[in-house]
Amino acid sequence: MNTSAAQLRERSRALAPGVGLSLARGVAPLVACLVLAVALQIAVRPLMGDYAAKLVLDIGVAVILAVSLTIVNGFTGQFSMGHAGFLAVGGYASGAVTYYGSLKVWGSAATHGGLLSGRPMSVDPSTLPLIGSGDLLFVGALLVGGLTAAALGLIVGLPSLRLRGDYLAIVTLGFGEIVRVCIQQTGPVIRTAAEAAQVPAWKLATSVGGALGFTGIPKYTSLFWVWLIAGITIMVAYRLKRSTYGRAFLSIREDEIASEAMGVNTTRYKVWAFVISAFFAGIAGGLFAHTLGVGLSAEAAGFLKSFDIIIMVVLGGLGSVSGAALAAMVVTLLPEWLRGKHVGPVDLSQYRLVIYALALILMMIFRPKGLLGVAELWDRSLWTSLAARLKRLAGGKGGSR
Amino acid sequence: MDQLLQTLKDGIAIGSLYALIALGYTMVYGILKFINFAHSDVVVLGAWLSLLFARKLEAVTGWGAPPWWAGALVLILAMAACALAGFCIERLAYKPIRGAPRLNVLITAIGVSLFLQNMGQQEWMFGTRPANIPALVNDATLFTVGRVNFTLLDAAGVGTALALMVGLEWLVFHTKIGRGMRAVSHSTATASLMGVPVNRVISTTFVIGSALAAAGGFLWALKYSQIKQTADTSWTLLGLKAFVAAVVGGIGNVRGAMLGGLAIGMLEMFGAAYLWSSMTDVYVFGLLIAVLLLRPGGILGKAVVEKV
Amino acid sequence: MSGSDVILDVRGVSKSFGGLKAVQDFSLSLSQGGLKGLIGPNGAGKTTVFNLLTGVYRPDAGTVRLGGANLVGLRPCAIAEAGMARTFQNIRLFGQLSVLDNVRLACHLRSSGTMTGAVLGSVFARGQERAMTERARELLRLFDLADREDEEARNLPYGDQRRLEIARALATGPAVLLLDEPAAGMNPQEKVELRQLIRRVRQEFKVTILLIEHDMGLVMDVCERIAVLDYGQVIAEGTPAEVQSNPRVVEAYLGEAPAEAGHA
Repeated sequence: MNTSAAQLRERSRALAPGVGLSLARGVAPLVACLVLAVALQIAVRPLMGDYAAKLVLDIGVAVILAVSLTIVNGFTGQFSMGHAGFLAVGGYASGAVTYYGSLKVWGSAATHGGLLSGRPMSVDPSTLPLIGSGDLLFVGALLVGGLTAAALGLIVGLPSLRLRGDYLAIVTLGFGEIVRVCIQQTGPVIRTAAEAAQVPAWKLATSVGGALGFTGIPKYTSLFWVWLIAGITIMVAYRLKRSTYGRAFLSIREDEIASEAMGVNTTRYKVWAFVISAFFAGIAGGLFAHTLGVGLSAEAAGFLKSFDIIIMVVLGGLGSVSGAALAAMVVTLLPEWLRGKHVGPVDLSQYRLVIYALALILMMIFRPKGLLGVAELWDRSLWTSLAARLKRLAGGKGGSR
Repeated sequence: MDQLLQTLKDGIAIGSLYALIALGYTMVYGILKFINFAHSDVVVLGAWLSLLFARKLEAVTGWGAPPWWAGALVLILAMAACALAGFCIERLAYKPIRGAPRLNVLITAIGVSLFLQNMGQQEWMFGTRPANIPALVNDATLFTVGRVNFTLLDAAGVGTALALMVGLEWLVFHTKIGRGMRAVSHSTATASLMGVPVNRVISTTFVIGSALAAAGGFLWALKYSQIKQTADTSWTLLGLKAFVAAVVGGIGNVRGAMLGGLAIGMLEMFGAAYLWSSMTDVYVFGLLIAVLLLRPGGILGKAVVEKV
Repeated sequence: MSGSDVILDVRGVSKSFGGLKAVQDFSLSLSQGGLKGLIGPNGAGKTTVFNLLTGVYRPDAGTVRLGGANLVGLRPCAIAEAGMARTFQNIRLFGQLSVLDNVRLACHLRSSGTMTGAVLGSVFARGQERAMTERARELLRLFDLADREDEEARNLPYGDQRRLEIARALATGPAVLLLDEPAAGMNPQEKVELRQLIRRVRQEFKVTILLIEHDMGLVMDVCERIAVLDYGQVIAEGTPAEVQSNPRVVEAYLGEAPAEAGHA
């Protein structure tokens, strides 16, 4: 081993903190996240109307999608435009697992969830266990969705080794399109347990509704699951960013040649970024597929959805985890806020996407790195520089400069 | 035999359309080194403007059967309007960020594309419902081989595309502004030092590319007669396929775009006729990925080494 | 020169781009701890030599041996891991990253552990993060950049950026350091400091240095031996005094009108 590496390793051991502290700092946010998600579901959800609850849920899914895309587009600077492809693949894969799993285990696609999973508010909670047997199936399905998407991410990430920038964008866009077309070719959903029992597993995996969409998936997704996973996604992305691996990702974005010259295996990290990003997008797809009132169809893979996610990432700041999450919130809420708003005779909600489009163009002209750039909301440097700028602005107005 | 001939004819018809649109992508890429994502939306604009002009013309002249010059007039009007639009897009959106990292330019292009798509959807523009363009050509069968009809419309479409491509070829290789374009595509900085008016060359490129896009939109409208709303995914796909054609031919290369367009048209039509018809998009993107991985420069292009 | 203390041994390396022979039959050896200058008129192929040594370009022919192992055909990151680090003539810092992160990134290739460990915040990952920070800060102190560690690299003055490039290269723990015009764009005061810095780096880090530089004063002062490149070939090699009096060198420089007009 290189002496330099040996020295570093030795020094790392010497400087390592105690296990207790390390565990506390590593696990505490996770526990906090879990507690908050439980509180959201148990205490806050009953106070909300169904409409508000759906909105909060949509925000959570959007946060997962935006933050996961940040890992590729923001950190490594590879421009993926096929994120919705991973979403759709994850959604279909996990949907197939819960739907056909339920048929096999319980003979029907009814939910077997607990207190924390999605259910109509009319169901009496006192009859439910905290975690139902169906929830386990659901979590397993989410993982299957994530892993399937990650495997595909590996395949899509490979061209990124040879393509840069805009070419990669087109290839990933094409990938999303291929996913859409392939989903449309799938067979009709098998409706009864008896029929499903006669069909081999691979056939079940391709009987997901085709052009008609995949209906009948049991609806397990709840605020608890969405925000627990959103919290985990943010945490993973942020910790990655702050780690030596995150610096490797960012260095590829900043200057690929220099990064390689400093010993970063750029191909390996680019593919990793795609895989991790696709994994979380796949899980988001799973959550989406199991949401009440959502019809999963091939259109989920279309580029309109991909564009939505890109808008969030770019507006929030390329490379900022909290920026992406914030933008996901704003982009999801904006149409609600615009609804019924008029400027003169103009109905603003009609212009939602026009506003995004203009925001993108103006952002690139006046603040090309996005709202937060690579900074996070909680970075002190962000606020100090903002304060300095405001001060300069105030000073300029006062005529001192 | 008939099927082969029919497929060949369809391939050439759609291929020449792709080629026409691909030219716009390839010219902008050659000079500014970015994918003008909004190009396909200028095609859509061209199609819809053709429709508006055709309706107006029909209302004004009250023709029973369209006169022979109707198509030509609509085409010229649509091209002029789109040329203006292209000029404005370049000046307002792309010029302020010239020299910015590629990613930023790409994002801007996506922004412009979304803007055009969603403005077009407004009721006072084109609305969200598909519309039919009035017939602009008195279609008639010119001749028949086997059971395959060759119509006036086919001939007009391919003929227009061909004429425009020959015109462009002449412009790029035999005029002063064309020489300027070629110079800027080699090196903007050097061209500028040599006294090439870079801004004018870039504007001209956008104007020409957009005019060709309008022609593409016009021919598309002529061919399919029904025009879908501006944000329909089929438009984005049309643009993407044209872009693929540009890449396959060798991006930045005018002749390559024509060749690539034809190649994509053929691939699509033969794939649809002899393999699975629902998978044409997959063939096209499969070809794109194969070309990019195996011969990134395309058929006629050459790979570029990044200077360190 | 071919004693057992040779660390970098380059033999017969050639590279052509299209019809242009950028580097022809280039040979060079560096002895352990040595400091050699590589000079030549603009366009002589000096930077191309660096790109060939570090794997940015693959040589058409020849061998590059670092401590006995052949590096030809390895990827740049593997060459960096083998112990060759470089700076860039046209500065290539990670502009939006902080000064500290630029240097910490370069420690990455000597790191161990896993991505999972980093995400979960394992004891080792935390320790390693501290160790990297410590090493990076030491380097920044040496290069007089310690008080700017939080600034974005692109906001540094030019001279500081050049020094940061050297610090970053050293953080990879190299055996051989390739410096591509480190003095370019520096003012006279900074150049004087750079001389001392180069000497100090060599002593403290025990690295072998190959230096491309247009500033003859600096080259003649700090280098023990100098190789002169012209039209992709080594035309002379020796001590500064020998090289200065070599008629072929004089011809190569005077044959090309103002030698200081720009950068290769």
